Amino acid sequence: MSANAPTADLFRSERMRRRRIVNRLVEGAATAAALLAVALLIIVVSSVVRQGWAAINVDFFTKTPAIYTGFGPRPASGISSAIIGTLIIIGIALLMALPVGVLTAIYLNELAPRKLASVLTLAFDVLNGIPAIVLGIFVFIFVVVGHGQAAWKASFALAILMVPMIARSTQEVLALVPSSMREASLALGAAKWRTTLSVVLPQAVGGIVTGATLATARAAGETAPLLFTSALYSDSVSYDPRQPIASIPMFIFTSAEQADPVLHEQAWGAAAVLIGIILIASLIARWFADRSVRRLKGER
Amino acid sequence: MSVAQERATGPAALQRRGRFRPGDAILYVVTCAAALTGVVLLALITHEVLTQAWPAMQKFGLGFLTTQAWGDKGNTLFGAKSFIFGTVVTSLGALLLATPISLAIALFLSELAPRWIRAVVAPLVELLAAIPSVVLGLWGILVLGPFITGTLGPAIHGTLGWVPIFSTKPSVGSNMFAAILILTIMIIPIVSSICRELFVGVPAELKDGALALGATRWEVVRGVVFPYARAGIAAALILGLGRALGEAIAVTQVIGNRVAINTSLFDPGDTLASRIAGQYQGADTALQVASLVYLAVILLVFSLIANLAAQLIVRRVAGRHQV
Amino acid sequence: MKAFVTRRKRPLAVLSVLTVAIATAVAISVGGAQARSSADELKGAGATFPAPLIAAWQQKYEAAKGVKITYNPIGSGGGIQAITNKTVDFGASDAPMTPDQFNTCGGCVELPWALSATSVMYNLPGLPNNLHMTGPILAGIYLGQIKKWDDPKIKAVNKGVNLPSTDITPVYRSDSSGTTFNFTTYLNTVSRQWKSQIGRGTTVNWPAGVGARGSSGVSGVISRTPGAVGYADIAYALKNHLKFFSMQNRAKKFARPGLAGIRAAAQADRKFNPQSNELSIVNPPGSPRFAKAYPICTYTYVILRMQSDKANLLKPFVTWALTSGQQYGPALIFQPVPKYVVKRGKATLKKVHS
Repeated sequence: MSANAPTADLFRSERMRRRRIVNRLVEGAATAAALLAVALLIIVVSSVVRQGWAAINVDFFTKTPAIYTGFGPRPASGISSAIIGTLIIIGIALLMALPVGVLTAIYLNELAPRKLASVLTLAFDVLNGIPAIVLGIFVFIFVVVGHGQAAWKASFALAILMVPMIARSTQEVLALVPSSMREASLALGAAKWRTTLSVVLPQAVGGIVTGATLATARAAGETAPLLFTSALYSDSVSYDPRQPIASIPMFIFTSAEQADPVLHEQAWGAAAVLIGIILIASLIARWFADRSVRRLKGER
Repeated sequence: MSVAQERATGPAALQRRGRFRPGDAILYVVTCAAALTGVVLLALITHEVLTQAWPAMQKFGLGFLTTQAWGDKGNTLFGAKSFIFGTVVTSLGALLLATPISLAIALFLSELAPRWIRAVVAPLVELLAAIPSVVLGLWGILVLGPFITGTLGPAIHGTLGWVPIFSTKPSVGSNMFAAILILTIMIIPIVSSICRELFVGVPAELKDGALALGATRWEVVRGVVFPYARAGIAAALILGLGRALGEAIAVTQVIGNRVAINTSLFDPGDTLASRIAGQYQGADTALQVASLVYLAVILLVFSLIANLAAQLIVRRVAGRHQV
Repeated sequence: MKAFVTRRKRPLAVLSVLTVAIATAVAISVGGAQARSSADELKGAGATFPAPLIAAWQQKYEAAKGVKITYNPIGSGGGIQAITNKTVDFGASDAPMTPDQFNTCGGCVELPWALSATSVMYNLPGLPNNLHMTGPILAGIYLGQIKKWDDPKIKAVNKGVNLPSTDITPVYRSDSSGTTFNFTTYLNTVSRQWKSQIGRGTTVNWPAGVGARGSSGVSGVISRTPGAVGYADIAYALKNHLKFFSMQNRAKKFARPGLAGIRAAAQADRKFNPQSNELSIVNPPGSPRFAKAYPICTYTYVILRMQSDKANLLKPFVTWALTSGQQYGPALIFQPVPKYVVKRGKATLKKVHS
C-alpha cells in the first residue's frame, strides 16, 4: 500500500463521492415524490373547498334540488334530500353488512378448520377486488330488472362491497385477543358460543367499529352501484327505501357534466360535504383502531 | 387430588366437555353461513353476469374481442377491441407513472422521514385514497381538463410532439391523458401504503448489516429492501393495477367516450368499465345490453386475474417469511 | 378483572348508540314513506329532449290535478328499456320504436306528444349567434373531414365573419339517444357518404369527436371547449346560453330553430306510421311552403303499455299533455302539436286500459 495508496485513495473517494451523490439524488427524489402526493391532495381538496364554499349556505342544507329551465328567477336549491338519501342508503347497507361481516370473521377466526378458513378468506379477498361497476350490474340483473330501482337495492350492492372490509378488520382484531382468555373461559366450563360472545367479542368491538367506519366511508363515496339501483335525476324527493332516492355521489356525478355553472358550484359543495363525512369517519376509525390495538397489546 | 381438581379433570368433566351444546351448534351454523356468503356471492355474480352476456357471447364469440365497433350496422354490431385497448393503455400508463412515485413515497415514509414529518405526511397520503372517485372526476372535468387543453397539453405537444403518443394537440379536456392522470392519483396511495408496510417489515439486522458494510442508504434500499420486499411490491403493483382496471366513474367523466384506437394520448377514447357506466342505463336493444354485460365479463376476467395473482403472491410471501 | 369490566362497557355503548341511531333513521324514513301514498303518482323515464317541457308539466299538472309525476331523463334508449322492463308507467323517446322493440315490449303503444327542434350549438368566443351552417358541411365535420373553423367551405357561407383557425371538436351523445336518431336521420339526407358509411340510429359509430351523456352532458362539453360543436334540443341551447347555427334548408334559406321554423317543418308529414305513429319531418322539401322550415325538427313520443294498473291516471295525464299541456311549450320552444296529432293521440289512448 505504498505507491498505489494515493491513487487508490483518490479512486475510492471518487467512487464514494459518486455513490453519495446518487444517494442524495434518490433521497431528494423520494422527498419530492412525497411532496408531490401531498401537493396533489392539497390541490384537489383546496379546489373542492374554494369552489364549493360559494354554494354552501343554509339553503344548501335545507332545500331539495330544483330544476331550473333557464327562464325566470332561479328557485332556491340545495342537497338536503341527497344528504338524507346517502345516510339512509349507507345506514341500511351497514345494517346488512355488519352482522354478516362480524359473523364471518368469528367463523374464520374461531371455529373453522385452518384449510377451509384460508380458502374462504381467499374468496372474500377476491370479492373485495371485484370492480364496483360489476357489482352494480350484478345487483341490477339480480333484483332490479323487472322490479324497478330501489334504495335498499343500492344498499345491497354497497353491502357486498362492505362485507369483506368489515370481515377482514374484525378478523385482525379477533386474532389479537389473547388465547389465554379463551382458554380460561373454556376451562371454567363456559360453552364455546358463550366464550365467543361474552369474552372474545367485547374485546374486539374497537376493531369492529374501525372496520365498519372505514367500510362506511368507502361506501359513501361509491357511485357505480348507485347508477343502476338508485338513480334519481329529477327534482323529485323521496325517502322511501323501496323507491330510488337521491344521494350525494349521484348528485355530483350528474351535476358535474352539465353546463350550468351554478350546478358546478353545488357539485363542489356536495363534494366538500362528502369529503367531510368521509374525513370524520376515517378519523373516528383511526382513533378507535389505535385505542383498541393499544389496549389489546397492553394486556399481554 | 382436590375435589375441585377432580371435578375439572376427572371422567365426569371429560364427558361434560364432549356433550352436545345447542348454543355451540347454532353459533357454528350461523357463522358458517355468513362465511359462505363470500363464495356464494362470487358464484352468483359469475353466473348472473355470464347468463346475461350469453346472447352476445353466442352471437359474436371470441371475435368480440377483436372487433372495433359499437352500434354499427344499425345497432347490430358490437365489439370490445377499442375498450380493451383503452383499458390496457390507461391502466398500464397509470401504473407506469404511479410506480416510481409510490415507491419513492414509501421509501420516504419508511426510511428517510423523521418521525414528526412521517406523522404528518403519512395520514395525508392515506387521505388521498379517501377522496371518492366521483370527486376526482369532478375535479378532472372542471380543473384538470382545462389545464390539459390550456397549459400542459400544448407544452408536452410542443416539446415531445414527435413522440407518437403525444402527436396531437388536445382540443378538448376529455382524453386518455386525463384518464391516465386521474388513475395515477388513485393508484398512488394504495401502492405506497402497502409498500411502506413492506419496507418497515424488512428485518433490521439485514439493513444494519448492509450499513455496517459501508453501503449508502440508497444502496441498502437497492440491495436489501427491494429484493426482500420484491414479491410484496409486485403484489402491491398488481393490486393498484386492479384498481385502475375497474375504475368506471372517474374515467367515464374525463375520457371522452369515443370508440376508437388512437396512437395519441391526447385523443379521446374509452375503457371497458367506463363504457358500461356510460351506456348501461340507456341501452335500448337486448343485444346491446348483452354486449355491455359481455364487456363486464371481460372486465371481470381481467380483475379476477389481477386480484388472484396478487393474493397468491401475498400468501406465498407470507409463508416464506414466517420466522 | 375490574378494569376488564369497565373498559368493556364503553365501546359497547358506542356501538349500541350507533345501532339505535341508524335504526331510528331507517324507521323515520320508512314511516315517512308510508305516510305518503304512492297511489297518485306516475313514474316516467326516457329522452332528455322533452325533459324541459315535462318538467313544466310536472309542476302544472300536480298543481291542477294533485297527481305527482316523476321523470328520469336517462335517454330515449333508457326510456324504451324502462317501459319494456315495466319499471316505469310511461316511457319517452324521440326515436320511434322499431317493430323488434314493439315485439320485445309486448303490448305497447306509442304516440307523439311534443314537437321541437334539434339545435346545432357551437362555442366560438367573440363571434355572433346564428352563424350559417349547411348539412353537407356539418356531415363533413362529423365525418372528421372538415377540421378547422376557418375551412373555406365554412367561410363561404359566413361571408364577413372572422372565423378563427381553432380545431373543430364535434360532440355527440355517448348514450343511446333519440336526438342522435334525429340528427343522424338528417345527416343521412344531406350526405351520401354519411348514409353509406355511418347511417342513422340511436347509437352510431362516430368517426370523430368526443362523446357526452345526455343533452346536458353535450351542452356541458360545448360550454367548456372552445371550438366545439354539438346537437341537442333547442331548449338546452337557450337554457345554457349557447350559440346555435341557422341551418340551410332545402329551399336554400337559412332557418333558425324557432317556433316559426318548427311550424313550417311540421307540415312535411301527416301520414302516421301504423304501428309507432311516427311522423318524420326531417329536411322538408324545397318548395316555397317550406321556405321557413328548420331542417332538423322532430316529434317526441310517449310510450305506454296497453295494459297498465295506472291507466286511470295515465290517460288523463297524456290527454292533458296533448291539449292543455301544449300551452307551456312555446316558452321552451316546443311548438304546440297540430290538431291531427291530438286527434290521433286520443284515438291511440283508447287502446290503453287497466
